[in-house]
Amino acid sequence: MDYKTTITQNRRVANGVFKLTLSVGALPEILPGQFAQVKLPDGSALLRRPFCIADFDRAAGTVTLLYAVKGKGTEALSALTKGGKLDVLLPLGNGFKFDASQRKIMLIGGGMGAAVLPAFPSAYPDKEFYTFLGFANKKAVICADLKDKSRFALITTDDGSNGERGFVTDKALAEMSALKPDSIAACGPVPMYRSMQKSFAGVSAPVYVSLEERMGCGFGACLVCACKIKSGGNESYKRVCKDGPVFLLNEVCL
Amino acid sequence: MSFNESVTVAGVLFKNPVITASGTFNFGREFEEFYPLSALGGISTKGLTLCRRDGNRPPRVAETPSGMLNSVGLQNPGIEYFLKNELPYLRTRGTVIIANIAGSTVDDYREIAEKAGESAVDMLELNISCPNVKEGGVAFGTLPSKVREVTEIAKAACGRKPLIVKLTPNVAKISDNAKAAEDGGADAISLINTLTGLAVDYRTRKPILANVTGGLSGPAVKPIALKMVWECYNAVKIPIIGMGGISSYTDALEFIIAGATAVQVGTANLVTPTAAYDIVRDLRAYLKENDLDVNKLRGSLVI
Repeated sequence: MDYKTTITQNRRVANGVFKLTLSVGALPEILPGQFAQVKLPDGSALLRRPFCIADFDRAAGTVTLLYAVKGKGTEALSALTKGGKLDVLLPLGNGFKFDASQRKIMLIGGGMGAAVLPAFPSAYPDKEFYTFLGFANKKAVICADLKDKSRFALITTDDGSNGERGFVTDKALAEMSALKPDSIAACGPVPMYRSMQKSFAGVSAPVYVSLEERMGCGFGACLVCACKIKSGGNESYKRVCKDGPVFLLNEVCL
Repeated sequence: MSFNESVTVAGVLFKNPVITASGTFNFGREFEEFYPLSALGGISTKGLTLCRRDGNRPPRVAETPSGMLNSVGLQNPGIEYFLKNELPYLRTRGTVIIANIAGSTVDDYREIAEKAGESAVDMLELNISCPNVKEGGVAFGTLPSKVREVTEIAKAACGRKPLIVKLTPNVAKISDNAKAAEDGGADAISLINTLTGLAVDYRTRKPILANVTGGLSGPAVKPIALKMVWECYNAVKIPIIGMGGISSYTDALEFIIAGATAVQVGTANLVTPTAAYDIVRDLRAYLKENDLDVNKLRGSLVI
């Protein structure tokens, strides 16, 4: 779980977004939605930084993280180059799980949330993916090559500068009756989930989402990454890092 | 040979002086994926209250220079749940178990000290210093007269179990509070709890924590903690458990030299899950290499 990794690539792939590939060695079992806690070099930050595992390559023994440069920690990370060493805890959290009867999976990614999606075909090569990716504009587009591994793929942008103009969740909803997915996995910002709680209320397939919160440890000890979950009529704080980050959309209190 | 890493605090033998700090270790289970808990001198549990507490709204954490600010707000499942579902398991792990207990009223403290006193824990750590909850005990932890009062009440309620009183650094003179705890019958004191702080997002002009303020911990607080341990060491006779930013065996040695009998490792557990284990291992290697008894180092600060 605690790996000393070597950077094999760390490059900009979109506006403010970097792709970091780490050589890990023999990979543990990884599910989409699970994340890595990266210790930043040279004491540039005390706490580790959590990033979703965007993808992994079992044969090569590598994992890929996609991260947006947001503050001092990710700035320091973006300056690292090939050959650099990183201390990483992975895989953490509960990922997206499907049973054998769930064959057709709808994937919905909003903005940086799309970073969670490339790991789905890698972890579930036998399932069919119907992929909807939405971004603010063409400069923000990531994970577009996911369409090569999907039965169906659609990109939307708010301004129409890439793909169709509009909200990704509206497009996904419009295709729902034609595609009839067995399960839906979504990752995006809180406003997207908020709108989905209303607009997807009548959808029969279970909708799972991945949450994000400021974290301390990442493995369940410090209780700082709390999210309110309602289950069986009760609301209580769960740990995004250990109980999640994947939860049923209709159980999340936003 | 004089190598020795074991210490005794209030009659309780610790195989080594390294204890994991309350609030950074939950009830230990999460760390068993990284190392056996039997390696530790002891574990201080997540702060327990009579009834379960949900804790504060998120965000509950902010990174600050060489430190972190938290405002968890004593989220815990309640002492009954702990005694039934966590303690029996912890008891089998081969390390000293310290129940960290908190309350909002004197009656709360009496009742929870009674419950913990009757249980299978080895010691109690009275949390009168949580800065994140209005009723989290800090009201009892600030004034020396209140420290003495709540210590007396808990001591009378907890039977024969040794009582540690955990002190807040957010006071005028911490040695006065240490003496008040000693006078109230504390068998040991532990310090420091977190320092209250504020983190601001200049763009939104809002505090980063939903609770506005939080408790500062991590390497940033170490010099303050060392000074306070030294000050208390010179003021009381009861043993001191020192903490505040300990991340390595040399940090642990510094606290012992300043007067601590044992140490607690807190924030470091969150950064490096094996931190406490590594400190035990490295401290042992140092003591062996120099043929030292850790007890001989206590308070050996050369002025």
